Amino acid sequence: MAPDRHRDFWLDLWGMALLLPLLAMPLLFKDPFILSLTYQFAIGVAASLSVYVMLRMGLLSFTVPAFMAVGGYAAAMLAKSGVTEIMALMLASFVLPMIFAVPLGLLVLKLKGLYFIFITFIFNEILQLIIFETPKLTGGSDGVVGVPAATFLGADLGVPWRQVFATVAVCLIASVIAFAASHRYRAEFTSIEENETLAESLGVAVWKYRMIGYIVSAGVAGLAGLALVNMLGTAHPSSFASWSVNNYIAYVFVGGRGTVLGVVVGSYLLIYMTNVFNAYAHLSAGLFGLLLIAVMMAAPGGVVGTAVKLFGGFRADKGDAPRPAPAGGAA
Amino acid sequence: MVTFVSAGVIGLSMGAQYALIAIGFTLIFGILGVVNFAHGGFYVLGGYLAFTLSHVLGVPFVAAIVLATIATAAIGYVVEIVLVEKYVVDHLATMLITLGFYQILITAIVVFYGAEPMDFSFPITGSLRSGGIFVPYSNLIVFVVCGAAIAAVYWLVYRTRYGIALRAMADDGPVARSQGIPPATMFPMAFAIATGLAGLTGALVTPMLALDPHVGEGVLLKAFVVVILGGMGSIPGAMLAAFIVGLTEAYASVYLGGSKGALVLFVLVLVILLVRPQGIFGTEARKA
Repeated sequence: MAPDRHRDFWLDLWGMALLLPLLAMPLLFKDPFILSLTYQFAIGVAASLSVYVMLRMGLLSFTVPAFMAVGGYAAAMLAKSGVTEIMALMLASFVLPMIFAVPLGLLVLKLKGLYFIFITFIFNEILQLIIFETPKLTGGSDGVVGVPAATFLGADLGVPWRQVFATVAVCLIASVIAFAASHRYRAEFTSIEENETLAESLGVAVWKYRMIGYIVSAGVAGLAGLALVNMLGTAHPSSFASWSVNNYIAYVFVGGRGTVLGVVVGSYLLIYMTNVFNAYAHLSAGLFGLLLIAVMMAAPGGVVGTAVKLFGGFRADKGDAPRPAPAGGAA
Repeated sequence: MVTFVSAGVIGLSMGAQYALIAIGFTLIFGILGVVNFAHGGFYVLGGYLAFTLSHVLGVPFVAAIVLATIATAAIGYVVEIVLVEKYVVDHLATMLITLGFYQILITAIVVFYGAEPMDFSFPITGSLRSGGIFVPYSNLIVFVVCGAAIAAVYWLVYRTRYGIALRAMADDGPVARSQGIPPATMFPMAFAIATGLAGLTGALVTPMLALDPHVGEGVLLKAFVVVILGGMGSIPGAMLAAFIVGLTEAYASVYLGGSKGALVLFVLVLVILLVRPQGIFGTEARKA
C-alpha cells in the first residue's frame, strides 16, 4: 500500500474511532465474556501500537513485553506500597519505561535490520532473567501478587466493570499517544523508513527521530503493561513472556502495518478468533498459526492494506482515481 | 582444575550442538533472506520422530536418527515450496508465515503426543573418567556426530559445485540467477539441508536434555544469539560463535549458577555488538 498522507490520516482516525466503543462496553454489558474480550482488545491494541510506532521507521522491535513488564511491575510495586491512584500509576508506567528506553536506545538503535530484531528479542530474555534473579524486588518467579485495586480520586476501581473501564481508558490514552507521535513525526518517520541514507543526507536527524520513536514506543508499552496488571491483579513474569510479542506483531501485520486502522482491525480479528479457538483449547495455537499463514498468503498487505488496494483499484477502474499524495507528504 | 576441564568438554559438546542448529538457521537466512521462526520447531520434530522410531517402533537408535533427519529435511523441502517460495522477497511475511507454521507444528505434536515431556533416553549411559575428569559418553558421542555433520556441511558448502552455487546465491542472488543458477532448485534444497540439520540436532540432543513440545523456543533463542555473535549469514562465524556460547554457558553455569550463566552470555552478546555491531564475521545487515 503506497503512502498517501490524506488517506492514511483518515484511516488512522477511523482506527481511533473504532476504539471508542470499547469504553461503552463495560457500561452496557455485564457478561464476563464480553468484558474479557473488551479488555483483551484494549491491551492488544495498545501493545500492538507500540510495535506500530517503531514500524513507521521500518524497525521491527521485539522489546514490547520487556517495556510492558517495566510499566506493569512499576505500577504493581507502587500500588503495593500504598499509592493506588490510577493517575500516579499511569505516570509511573509511562515514564519509567521511557527512562529505561534511553540507555537501551543508545545501545540498539545503531543496529539495523535483523540485528535490531534479534537484539531486541534478547532484551526480553535478559529482563526475564533479571526478574528471576531479584526476588526481593520483583518477587522472582512468584511475581508481585495481591496488587491492590487502583483508585480514581479516591473511588475504588476494583469492581469488575470499573476495572475494565479503567483498563480501556489507560489503553485509549496509550493509543492516543502512539497516534499523536506517529502523526507529529510522520514525515520524518516515513523518510527514515523509505530511505534512511537519503533522509540523513537531506538533514533529517535519523538517530534523534529513532530515539523519539523508541521512547514513545516504550511508554505506550508500559501503559499496556499497567493495563494488564490492573486486570490480573498481579505482575508475573509469565504475563510478559518473550514469545508474547509474536502475537502483537501478528496483530499489526494481519491487520495491515501501514495504518492505525490496520492495527486495530488486526487486534480485534485475531483476539476474537483466539477466543473462538479457545473452545478447542488444544488446537488454539495451531488454528492461530493457520489463520496467520492464510492472511499473510491471501492478503500480504494485511486486511486493511489489501482492502485499500482493492478499493483503490476499483475506484481507478471507475475513473475516480484516489487523491494523489501532496508534495512532501511522504517525505 | 578437574572441574574446569570437565566444564570445558561439556561446553565444547554444547557448542557443537549450537553450531549445528545455528548453521542451518544462518544458511536459510544467508541464501533465502528468510528468518525461519520454525527452526526450533524442526528441532522438536526431529526429537519426536527419533523418539517414535526408536522407542515406539523399535528401530535401532542410529537408524532412527538418520530417518528422523531425512524426514525433517523432506518436510522442510515441502514447507519451502508450499509456504515460503512465493513470498521469499518479503522477509517480514516469511517470518510470520514460518511463525504460523511453527504454531501448527507444535499443536500437531501436542495433539499426537500430549504436552508432557517424553521419557526419551540416550541408549548409551555411563561416563568417561580419567584423572578425575568426568565426561558423560552421551556428550562425547553428540560432540563427535555434530562435529562430523559440521564437517560435512563445510565440505558441501565450500568444496562442491552445489556449495559454490549456494554461496553465489547468498552473495548476489540476481548475478547468480543471470549465471544460470536456478533459485527454484537451490532454495528448497537449502531449506531442506537446514531443517535436516535442526532435525538431526533434535534427534541427537533431546534424549540427553529434554523432549517436550516447547523446547524449540529456547533453541531458536540460542540460534539468535549465535548468529548475532557470528554475523548473519556467515557459516564460519556461526561455528565460532556457537563454541563461544557453549563454553561461556558451561563455565558460567558451573561457576555462577544456571540463570546467572545465561545472563553472562547475554551481556557478552551486548559487549560484542557494541564493539562490532555486525557480529564477528558478519557484513552489513539486510533490511527487515
